[in-house]
Amino acid sequence: MRSRVPRRSSPLGTAVLGIALLATVLPLLYLLSVSLMGRGETVSGVLWTSDPQWTNWGDVLASGLPRSIVNSLVAALGGSVLTLLLAVPGAWAIARYRAGGRTLGATLMSPWLLPPIVAVVPLLTLLRILHLNNTVLGLTLVYALVNLPVAVWLLEGFVRRLPPELEEAARVDGAGAMRTLVSVIAPLLVPSVVAIGIIVAILNYNEFLLATFLTQSADTQTFPVALSLFYGDRTPHFGKIAAASFLGVVPVFAAAVFFQRWLVGGLTQGAVR
Amino acid sequence: MSPAVLAVVVLGLYPLLFILAAAFSDSTLGRPFRDWVGLENVETVLADADVVASFARTVLYAAAVSVASVVLGVVIALALERATRSGSVVRTVLLLPLITPPVVVGTLWKLVFNPGGGLLDTALRAGGADAASVAPLSSSAWALPAVGLADVWQWTPLVVILVYAALLTQDPSVREAASLDGAHGVRLFGHITWPAIAGTVAAVLLIRLVIALKVFDLVFVMTSGGPGQATTTTSYLIYQVALKEFDIGRASAITLLFAVIVTVVVLPVAALARRLSHA
Repeated sequence: MRSRVPRRSSPLGTAVLGIALLATVLPLLYLLSVSLMGRGETVSGVLWTSDPQWTNWGDVLASGLPRSIVNSLVAALGGSVLTLLLAVPGAWAIARYRAGGRTLGATLMSPWLLPPIVAVVPLLTLLRILHLNNTVLGLTLVYALVNLPVAVWLLEGFVRRLPPELEEAARVDGAGAMRTLVSVIAPLLVPSVVAIGIIVAILNYNEFLLATFLTQSADTQTFPVALSLFYGDRTPHFGKIAAASFLGVVPVFAAAVFFQRWLVGGLTQGAVR
Repeated sequence: MSPAVLAVVVLGLYPLLFILAAAFSDSTLGRPFRDWVGLENVETVLADADVVASFARTVLYAAAVSVASVVLGVVIALALERATRSGSVVRTVLLLPLITPPVVVGTLWKLVFNPGGGLLDTALRAGGADAASVAPLSSSAWALPAVGLADVWQWTPLVVILVYAALLTQDPSVREAASLDGAHGVRLFGHITWPAIAGTVAAVLLIRLVIALKVFDLVFVMTSGGPGQATTTTSYLIYQVALKEFDIGRASAITLLFAVIVTVVVLPVAALARRLSHA
């Protein structure tokens, strides 16, 4: 579509792509294969079990893992929605009203430079004061703020691309800033907001460090925390660990397949100016 | 000013003040800010060879892993652009590692590197390597590269997707004109393609470097910082000092020094990215 001149298909390019696909898929397939292995087989050097242990999956499903996946989904989606509610006005203010001058955008991103371990102790102290430690609600609120800078940064690129005439027209018609934001800007941003919402939700879902410290009880743990606890046994059962890993990945992979177009669009158009 | 800005200032400023206060005081997890001790924590940390070694290890790790991801990512993005028939399925599959939780990525590669029965071990045996178990995660020379491999697997797709997007914004007619003039292969890349994507590549390198400097989850799952201190990156060290030894004062002093190092490492790359994208 883009190039009218038919391009020579490059054998080198195809080979590179083939290797890249193989390197991507092979470890994932191996994880699936291990998830069906019995205890002995994981250390015996077989690549595919002759006797699939579906009980690995059954045991994991009967454990606290599904609960942790639900917790993760709640915190991820709730955090993402809150992030977007805060990010849309923020990005608009920075892009259009030059709020905070030239430096605010950079200042917002600066906490992202440091390892999140830095924030664990202060946040734990804060949540304890608010009686929100060990609750999914507390984690959701933290997630809402943690990825706010990234969301603002990505959204700003989309806001800048909206034609300013629309906002001028709204102002001439007597709409205030709030009205313009809600009735003119927000509807136009829906596709980008959906894309960024998915990205932020995936980042939240995958987050491990904050979750380990902010949700320690069994009924509030998120999936990455629950998975890390499988290593607690003296002799970890790799088959079950692999099954648990796969189970927890299903929601993100499903989202990726379902929202493929938005995901790629959100990553590329927001970041590449 | 919008509530978003206020919220971030509170979230960014509060931990910063907390760390500053803790770095200059005698603080434990249970009883922070007991006594002002001035520069004592900073001096202790600077005299600690383990801390200094973790800084060097983290910076080298981040540099190696970032360069590897960016080179691989650019090559794959170019291949993706050339392979006109590659559809959305290929792109989605290539993105999977990026959206896999790091805890799962760590698990996955731990299984691959599992001595006596892991994928690597089995493949090497099938290839005729000698029967001694291959155990990269318990070798002090190979553990960090093994964690790095998992890191590269996870984050290269981010480079691929961003560089691929930059390639798509090129004007195809420029390229056609150049190839009609006889520019092919390396020459075409050097004169036409590279200048068009250099800004994006530098920006992606910056993002990748920051992510690599923060590595924690993979270390936590794959090696717990070991064997010895072979994979104790600074994030992991801060975690150990703060939440295992409960010495918040010392952990905060390490954090402050690490912030300085991150800034020193990242600034030149940020300047390069800015210059290339405005060129």
